[in-house]
Amino acid sequence: MTDVDSPPPSPEGAARIRVWDLPTRITHWLVALLVAISWWTAETGRLEWHRWSGYTLLGLVIFRLYWGFVGSSTAKFAGFVRGPRAIKGYLQGGWTTTAGHNPLGALSVVALLVLLVAQITLGLFAVDVDGIESGPLSLYVSFEAGRVAAHWHCDLFNVLLGLIALHIIAVLYYVFFRKQALVAAMVHGERAYPPPPPAPVQPASLLRLIIGIVIAAAITWAVTRAFRF
Amino acid sequence: MPRTLFRSVIVVALLIPVVHAATPVETQKARHEHYEKLGKAFKAVRDQTSTDSPDYAVLLQNAEIVNEASINQQQWFPKGTGPEAGKTRALPEIWTKPADFEAAQKMFSDRAPKLLAAAKAKDVDAVKAAFKDLGGACKNCHDAFRAPEH
Repeated sequence: MTDVDSPPPSPEGAARIRVWDLPTRITHWLVALLVAISWWTAETGRLEWHRWSGYTLLGLVIFRLYWGFVGSSTAKFAGFVRGPRAIKGYLQGGWTTTAGHNPLGALSVVALLVLLVAQITLGLFAVDVDGIESGPLSLYVSFEAGRVAAHWHCDLFNVLLGLIALHIIAVLYYVFFRKQALVAAMVHGERAYPPPPPAPVQPASLLRLIIGIVIAAAITWAVTRAFRF
Repeated sequence: MPRTLFRSVIVVALLIPVVHAATPVETQKARHEHYEKLGKAFKAVRDQTSTDSPDYAVLLQNAEIVNEASINQQQWFPKGTGPEAGKTRALPEIWTKPADFEAAQKMFSDRAPKLLAAAKAKDVDAVKAAFKDLGGACKNCHDAFRAPEH
């Protein structure tokens, strides 16, 4: 990303750089889609679908966390999560452009992932008011505890919505006011940078991707079975 | 005479709970507790059906609670215990469309014995089927006669 006070990249002389690998992009858009589906199915009382949507989200978030440790360079947490000094530096314009999240955007990614983990976990233990619908792990908690989980699941969703709104507003700000095609980059994976462009994303191996998919699927399957085999 | 007086006091004391009619708010509170107990029983049934070796004693005990509730619920909605009396999710339609409400309650009391029978027969698949069926009866009534949670 360019630093805050640099001019927007001009089309002439701009270099197109690969920023996001395919697994990161697919995960991002599937999470967005499934959060919407989870919302809709909860609002309309389709709890069977809501569970399936939640399970899929669980698998996606597990994969994204895994990818944050062994995935492509721009997906790795170590590659983009920065301390307050770097964030301050970024805001003051003293940031050397790298491909991927800027130090401020990193906060948004971390906060969204933390909230998703919390939201999914609460859903796994939630019990509805009639004891009819429940998450797969609710058999390990009392009715009362399951109800508390359900209420928090409901309340935390509003916090999640707020963060998603902030995320979208921030992205749109960069798109329209700073002329950085962030949405398009998350779709096709590339972005134009003014010279000199930053180093492009270093992809991770196919083997790592397969291992990640297997891990995410296995953990999700175990959770839906409430760890009973 | 003191004995007669003593007896009268006893008789009056015994009558107090009988003649004391529950206030609408008390009825609402009791109703809420009844349904909470019902919810707990449903969860207990569900928990048992999602294990590989269900405890049929627990299943039976909770199926009985559900069955009793399906009969008793017909007494839980006396007139004047709707939203006009205090905070409740019971909708006014319960009292303005009594025939529909009775039909919805009947769906519950028709289906609850099947859960009980399945629990008695120690047939976990029949319990699961009856539970799902009952869930439909709950939803049927709640969609029409219970206000949304928020």
